[in-house]
Amino acid sequence: MSLIALLLAPLLAAGLLVPARRGLARGVHAAALAATLAAAVAVAHGVVVDTTVVALDGLLRADALSAWMVGLIALVATLAGLETFSEPAGRRFHALFHLFVFTMLLAVTTDDLGLMWVAVEGTTLASVFLVNYHRTRASLEAAYKYLLICSVGIALAFVGTVLVYFADVQQFGAEAHALRWTTLLRWAPQLPPRVVELAFVFLLVGYGTKAGLAPMHTWLPDAHSEAPASISALMSGVLLAVGIYAVLRFKAVVDLAAGPGFARRLLILLGLASMTVAAAFLWSPTSLKRMLAYSSVEHLGLVALGLGFGGPWGIAGAILHIANHALAKATLFLLSGRIRDVYGTVDIALVRGVIMAMPVTGRAFALGMLALLGLPPFGLFISELMILGAGFKEGWPAATVLALGLLLVAFGGMLRALHGISYGAPAAWAGRELVTWGGVTPVAAALGLLVLTGLAWPPGLVAALARIAAVVGG
Amino acid sequence: MRAASNLLAFFGLAVTLLLVWRRSWPGRLRLFVLQSAVLALLAATVGWLAGKPALLVVAGVFLALKAWIIPRVLHRMAAGTPVRPVAPGRSSGLALLTAGGLVVAAYVIILPVTASATLPTAGAIPLAFAMALIGLFMCVTGRDVLGHVLGFLVFENGIFALALLATYGLPGLVEAGVFLDVLVIVLLMEGVVVQIRREHDSISVDHLSELRE
Repeated sequence: MSLIALLLAPLLAAGLLVPARRGLARGVHAAALAATLAAAVAVAHGVVVDTTVVALDGLLRADALSAWMVGLIALVATLAGLETFSEPAGRRFHALFHLFVFTMLLAVTTDDLGLMWVAVEGTTLASVFLVNYHRTRASLEAAYKYLLICSVGIALAFVGTVLVYFADVQQFGAEAHALRWTTLLRWAPQLPPRVVELAFVFLLVGYGTKAGLAPMHTWLPDAHSEAPASISALMSGVLLAVGIYAVLRFKAVVDLAAGPGFARRLLILLGLASMTVAAAFLWSPTSLKRMLAYSSVEHLGLVALGLGFGGPWGIAGAILHIANHALAKATLFLLSGRIRDVYGTVDIALVRGVIMAMPVTGRAFALGMLALLGLPPFGLFISELMILGAGFKEGWPAATVLALGLLLVAFGGMLRALHGISYGAPAAWAGRELVTWGGVTPVAAALGLLVLTGLAWPPGLVAALARIAAVVGG
Repeated sequence: MRAASNLLAFFGLAVTLLLVWRRSWPGRLRLFVLQSAVLALLAATVGWLAGKPALLVVAGVFLALKAWIIPRVLHRMAAGTPVRPVAPGRSSGLALLTAGGLVVAAYVIILPVTASATLPTAGAIPLAFAMALIGLFMCVTGRDVLGHVLGFLVFENGIFALALLATYGLPGLVEAGVFLDVLVIVLLMEGVVVQIRREHDSISVDHLSELRE
């Protein structure tokens, strides 16, 4: 029941928002955000109590991993959705916003891996128009690249899905639920290992494209920097994580069919590649939003690395890092939108003295950046420590040291950029910031949560992470 | 069954190679329609011989979508562009050679699948996979938006054939979702093309290079 409500809330909102008038649209938008968040809490509660929540004859199924993702998507959607009240936006914008949220929620709550594929492709289709919302030459180019590269990537994932289905049907005959994840997991030990390995390569490249892993990341900096701030927040915060989620579902299958070594090596390889590409750019970033976008490549690379290292620390660290990154990055993208409103640009060379010109936004941005850089007391410090610790513990010292080096390069570059934009004399054309409770509260809440995951884990977090690790498998 | 599927898949691959070779846009569009029709016939044949009536429906939808609706959209997208891309000195020889290499690669890569396949259509699996790889190649090397879209659609057709020959098609819900996705992708592409043409007065991707580091 809660699962159906979770999916219906954004879907109905998208349908209602197309014909709604302006005043009514704001109400529908706010109600949909609240309903989605409430349903997400209900799903999470159901998972805590009953381990799994099932609906529609098992087509929809949420376990601990799904619930984690549902919570994150609803949280970031609320953060981003509140921001759209201050952005001038047409009704198609809000309708597509909720359609986008719906496709992400469907991807993480369906047990059918074929339907999951359709939903992940749907995330691209729902958000292309949103990336091109400003309709400039640059945003058009970004939207085109995004549509083409992600469609091709996701088609590769479809090849992988077909191959998994083939392996399954070959062994056990055509069964109505052959593409269900729960069915696959039960039969995984008997599946032909070579076929499953081949399928996983396609799946990792395909869903890795959506997750922004190098070398398939090329759409990401363009799309994230050209989209409106609230959409960048959603894409960077949770869309990339949905890509990782899809990989995780198949990783559990391939681990059982072919042994854990295969997926691990590939994930470590892609993780290091992503961190290398990101560090090369982040050493001297040019634009605020591109810097945040490349930092997403870096952090998703780190997540892949954690999943590759495996072990209880690697998996839990990666899962926690997904959440920490989502909170920090979504907040920073929203703040960068406010900076753009005042300065009229996000060029790092032109944005100066933000702390003086925009005391609240500037300080919040600096705090968010320090969190993103992995400094205590913020949560990213802990999750990065867990991932790197797992690297040493599970016997990958060289990869861990390399990752640490790449993190330091990115750290140096981004700290320099942060110093540049925070201090100095603000440019004459910079306007004044508008401080409202509605704008400050979500940012403060997100930063507060980050301190919470960094300093004192709320009760139940350890148990939740352990459950998710059990779903994913070491 | 074995002979029919092998023959049709081989014919589909031959059309795909012709697609790599042809330069004129109307010619390529006609070849794409032909390839889609061949694959629809393949789906219908497999459905008939294997006693799977659902595949006949899939074949009908596939035919309507890929051989009629989408080609019409592509035709609209291409309105006003020159028949031949103006690129003297560029012959199709190298592209065709690469496509030939991809056929060999397809046989090697898909080996674990053919080795464990037991369906009578299994022999044609590498042909379908080769179609998909050639479509991917066309998409990656396309010089304008139309080339990208056409390559993507050929890629998609190849995957359809792969699923058909390896498993007699995916579950209906997934198949329907895939068809819907492809249609929406093409319609979105049309919207993008209209805007690209308005901005740049051309649909060559050489103009799309402002966002660089």
